[in-house]
Amino acid sequence: MEKVKQIGFKKHLMTAISFFLPIIVASGFLLAIGNMMGGASIENFRDGFSFADTMTTMGGYGLGFLPMIVSTAIAYSIADKPGIAPGLIVGFVAHGIGTGFLGGVVGGYVAGYIVVLLMAIIKVPKWMDGLLPTLVLPFLSSFIAGMVMYYVVGTPIIWFTDLITAYLGNLNTSSLFLYGAIIGVLASIDYGGAINKVVFAFVFALFSEGIYEPITVLILVSMTTPFGLTMAYFIGKLIKKNIFNKQEIETLKTAFPMGICQITEGCFPIVLNDLVRNVIATGVGGAIGGGLSMLWGADSHIPASGMFAIPTMTRPWAFVAALLIGSLATAITILLLKKRVDPNAEVVAVEKEEEDVSWDDLKIS
Amino acid sequence: MKIVGIAACTAGIAHTYIAKEKLIQAGIDRGHDIHIETQGLAGTQDGLTQQQIDEADVVIIAADIKVNGRDRFKNKKIVEVPTGLVVKSPNKLVEKLEEVKA
Repeated sequence: MEKVKQIGFKKHLMTAISFFLPIIVASGFLLAIGNMMGGASIENFRDGFSFADTMTTMGGYGLGFLPMIVSTAIAYSIADKPGIAPGLIVGFVAHGIGTGFLGGVVGGYVAGYIVVLLMAIIKVPKWMDGLLPTLVLPFLSSFIAGMVMYYVVGTPIIWFTDLITAYLGNLNTSSLFLYGAIIGVLASIDYGGAINKVVFAFVFALFSEGIYEPITVLILVSMTTPFGLTMAYFIGKLIKKNIFNKQEIETLKTAFPMGICQITEGCFPIVLNDLVRNVIATGVGGAIGGGLSMLWGADSHIPASGMFAIPTMTRPWAFVAALLIGSLATAITILLLKKRVDPNAEVVAVEKEEEDVSWDDLKIS
Repeated sequence: MKIVGIAACTAGIAHTYIAKEKLIQAGIDRGHDIHIETQGLAGTQDGLTQQQIDEADVVIIAADIKVNGRDRFKNKKIVEVPTGLVVKSPNKLVEKLEEVKA
């Protein structure tokens, strides 16, 4: 167990997400804009193509190759450079056998751990020192990882994704709302932190199977906090209850535009000033917004990019309505929870006693 | 005490930089000389120099992901934590670093 803890598990998935987030944003935007202009995927370059086609095609490449990207990144994270070759090949295997994103994730771990294992057990004579990293390791690790994908984990993954796809496709209304609310709360309460990213990996796996609603919930609840806090500011003006100090109002001016692009992190300075109340307000908004979005079937066909995802939806009204109601819920909650603040008062930094932390996560080497 | 370190989070836009700010603030408050490199979405910023690393008593890696250039810290005492911990309790962490060094 000690060894497993040392190699780590979550960190590698996080590394993969940090690698493919920019790819998703780039290809998501390309695909959305291309589709809006009526583009189609270019099948044969020689037959000619339109400008819109180029963008749709590029976007499709980026999203379509995510299994390879994620498996390569995970294997690299686990095994450093020697992980790249088997990671990439196994990613293609996952893509080829149709296990999608989930297959890429599993493949990445398989490839990475196999490389680490091989490095630990293979002892070569001196004259082979140079051959180990150039020939033995890449070939053996790719071969073994590939075999594991084809003969061991491939079928169960497909079976599992089919099961979930069928299950989620047949949910009744009350469970739809419940699932949406759960995804909404989990995806929003740590403001783009680790929980949000784990949820992202999960809903993205569903997205790659053609289930668009869960990822739409994630897009939506990433926006309810910046929108909700902004609403709280304006509603506060109306009802004469201002809850933001001068500095926080300045923060809102950048947090709101960031929110439009589905970046919650802009709210951080405000949230950190009063973590508990803000998390409650975010959770309430996330649950209501997420639940409604799922219930009404808002479906983004690109996995990120906030308001810009709306044109790709078959039910844009559902998204907008759920977003507004969710944000309003956040706004009302935070207005009820927080005390009145003088917006012009100078900000005084208060020394707060830091909470005790557990040192379990701390590693010394 | 001289501290160097790296901050890196998953998305690379917020936690990375907050962790850096908090670490530097806490370090200065407790009278240390501290340099933090960020590895965010924008790539490596405020990169550590070889001299800073050579002189450092302890290395702090506040990261949720794999960081680049770990091999620079060979034979150094390295403390690794998730970024969330730094955001929550930077001063306590710096105290811990003092203990580790001692």
